[in-house]
Amino acid sequence: MRLIRRSPYQALAAALAMSLTFFISSIFILLIIGGQIVLNYIEQRPQVIAFFKDNATESQISELSSKVQATGLTTGVKYVSKEEALAIYRERNKNDPLLLESVTADFLPASIDISVKKASDIQNITNIVQGDPQVERVITPQNLVEQLVKWTNTIRIGGIAFVSTLLAVSFLIIIMVIGMRIALRRDEIAIMNLVGATKWYISRPFFIEGALYGVVGASIATFLVYSLLLFYSPNIQNFLGPIQVFPISPLFFVYLWLAEIIAAATIGIVGAAIALFRYLRIE
Amino acid sequence: MIEFVSVTKKYPSGAMALDEVNLKIEAGEFVFVVGPSGAGKSTLLKLITREILPTSGQILFNGEDILKIPKNKVHVLRRRIGTVFQDFKLLLTKTVFENVAVPLEVLGVKESEVEKEVSAVLDKVGLLEKADSFPLQLSGGEVQRTSIARAIISKPQVLLADEPTGDLDPKNSLEVIKLIEKINHEDKTTVFMATHNAQIVNHFKKRVITLQKGKIVKDEKEGRYETT
Repeated sequence: MRLIRRSPYQALAAALAMSLTFFISSIFILLIIGGQIVLNYIEQRPQVIAFFKDNATESQISELSSKVQATGLTTGVKYVSKEEALAIYRERNKNDPLLLESVTADFLPASIDISVKKASDIQNITNIVQGDPQVERVITPQNLVEQLVKWTNTIRIGGIAFVSTLLAVSFLIIIMVIGMRIALRRDEIAIMNLVGATKWYISRPFFIEGALYGVVGASIATFLVYSLLLFYSPNIQNFLGPIQVFPISPLFFVYLWLAEIIAAATIGIVGAAIALFRYLRIE
Repeated sequence: MIEFVSVTKKYPSGAMALDEVNLKIEAGEFVFVVGPSGAGKSTLLKLITREILPTSGQILFNGEDILKIPKNKVHVLRRRIGTVFQDFKLLLTKTVFENVAVPLEVLGVKESEVEKEVSAVLDKVGLLEKADSFPLQLSGGEVQRTSIARAIISKPQVLLADEPTGDLDPKNSLEVIKLIEKINHEDKTTVFMATHNAQIVNHFKKRVITLQKGKIVKDEKEGRYETT
């Protein structure tokens, strides 16, 4: 602590660099996890809906259902008859009597709702159902899923690149600050060396200082992210609509904090080790 | 106790600091090493603490070749040696007490024990009342006595002093050497002191080793330092 008090601005720079790095890291981690939750949600919904022509018989529909199931790419195939479609239509428009008037089951086509195991299989299933002569139209959220997968991957790659750069900057700042500390204490180090201090005794405070920057930086970052998420949770939930992401378990933040302080302390300690190797000249 | 066997030290610049030096210092001896600047006095002392390594030769400390001590064990050798410098090498941000306590802290001695030991040593060097003062608040003689207290706090077998009176006036110089003589006499600490203060050397009538251009030119019991 005496060392930190002696030049507080350097200490502040090191701790802030760590905070920024781990704050951005936490944001990216949350974005990636959030993206995965949204993707999982969409993948659990029926992703391909095939509407049949009016003259399609139940046996033809059943035959196509079996064919789709036989691919092994689906998690469920549900037949929706004209009557069921009407019931759904009525439920959705129950507050608008005008839309309900004069609509009968004959107006609505029968369909099968298909859920696939992986978003990447949507196109295969779509091709199979589109090839059936009894199918009139196919609806698929393929584009949305593709976009989402693309976004998640971009966030992942961009996040890794951005966070890596910030980690490198934090690392260099730690080396620089510890290097300056060593220079500042060179007289004391020379005396300790001469009175028989071990190299570990001389190095230990610098390792502790490096680790401390990491722990303080990561703790500030986790606290900030937790506070921001708590503050903006209504807005985020509103944006995500039916996709339930809140409440996030406090345990998740405890794990995030622990993982980040371990990572940050490691960076601090390794940074200090490099600084000591580079600048500590004792025999 | 300390033995130099054909020790040569040549610096990378090409300067020959020591040339085939042979000498033996017995336990409990008080030895002055004298000579003009550049004669190799400081080099001799730095070789004993292994701050520098010789180009060739052997240096024995209690019969052990110090050049064979592994790097991670050099601190064990240094704990047996106390060192006093011309420029004192005290930490200006620490008090007298804290400066003297450094070697004990390095050894991991308990705080209560440190308190006791430091007080006893400060009493011995006559600085107990100045324990809470900072080096800049002391006179030259007091600063050097603090430096001596730090050097003897861990009860070393050998006290090396490199021009300890170089920055002091004659009165303080005499007091400092008297203190070192007292340590030599009472604690049986071997003293090896580099100096070019002829007055002091001639006053105390101890063994005197004279170095010139890296060679021992004279080694006399109750010797004198002729500066002509």
